[in-house]
Amino acid sequence: MDNRDTIDPLFDALRGEMARLDAPRGVEKELLQAFARQFPQKQPWHRRLALRRWALAGSLSTAVTALTVFSLLLHNPRLDADPDGASRPLLSRDGNGGLFIALETQERIEQEPAPRVVETEVSRSSLARLGVPLTPENAGDTVKAEMLLGADGQPLAVRLTSID
Amino acid sequence: MNTTSATTPDTDLLRTMRKGDADAFAALYRRHQGPLYRFALLRCGSSDTAADVVQEAFMGLLTERFRFDPLRGPLQSFLFGVARNLILKLEEGRRRHVALPAFDADQDGDDDPEPDQPLIETGPLARLLDNEAAEQVRKALAHLAPHYRDVVILYEMHELSYAEIADICQVDIGTVRSRLSRGRAALAKRLAGWHPTPTLAHA
Repeated sequence: MDNRDTIDPLFDALRGEMARLDAPRGVEKELLQAFARQFPQKQPWHRRLALRRWALAGSLSTAVTALTVFSLLLHNPRLDADPDGASRPLLSRDGNGGLFIALETQERIEQEPAPRVVETEVSRSSLARLGVPLTPENAGDTVKAEMLLGADGQPLAVRLTSID
Repeated sequence: MNTTSATTPDTDLLRTMRKGDADAFAALYRRHQGPLYRFALLRCGSSDTAADVVQEAFMGLLTERFRFDPLRGPLQSFLFGVARNLILKLEEGRRRHVALPAFDADQDGDDDPEPDQPLIETGPLARLLDNEAAEQVRKALAHLAPHYRDVVILYEMHELSYAEIADICQVDIGTVRSRLSRGRAALAKRLAGWHPTPTLAHA
């Protein structure tokens, strides 16, 4: 007897029934989760930085910006000496051994209608940021100074009279 | 370019998958899960076990616990082979713990293709299919010895060639041929007395 005649139609029925059967959906979900664990998504660099790193990056950025601004201020062309004396240098020695520090441009000082001079004393440490040398020995000293003020009280220049 | 279309070869999907493309892995899974699940289901008779087998086979592919070599054949045959080995391992473990009726078949011998009692699970899935004719064949398959069942399922249900089945079952083609012949004869014998009832008969 030919087996095919007996069982082929039955296998057709089985194939038809089985064709609609698939693995449960949970299997795919589990596998995709396993895949995600095996191949973690690479995030863009800015997402990979944690908040703490962002804070550190921000602090560094701020510090660099502050240094840059300070450096630019120190080398401000308005404050630097120029050959024809169009503006005063930040620091210059006057004829009497004093140290003259221009805080504004020469034009601004010359155009001041009613400048006045006020004698005062300033701490040496506060002058350090203007380029006045500072050592541990003289950091606590004060220096006699003549402040050139505008009519509105704004400092235009300072002359240190008792500085070495 | 869409790298996960229905026409993308398995090897391309595998290559993309190994670079971390989840879509490629999902495409591979969706392409092969159905046949693999159906094979495992008919082979072991339990939908839970079949689902576990599918999951473990793909997990092994993902983790490269099971290394696929495209030079040795198509991915589908490789997955069938993995599934078969997983099922054999499960059966081996079960055989150690459960006293079964005398069944000491030599995998390559000419033992009875239809042992007295099937090795598959019954119980919640005693009836698996709605169609009565299909269910009868499934039950008859369940009564075949496992190594006959492998060959009959792969040939009749998945239409694989003798060579592919030989590769999956790790036997030579002659053995495939003889097992198929004996398995079909045993099925025909068991199903010979069955006739569909008029109300449940498949049209």
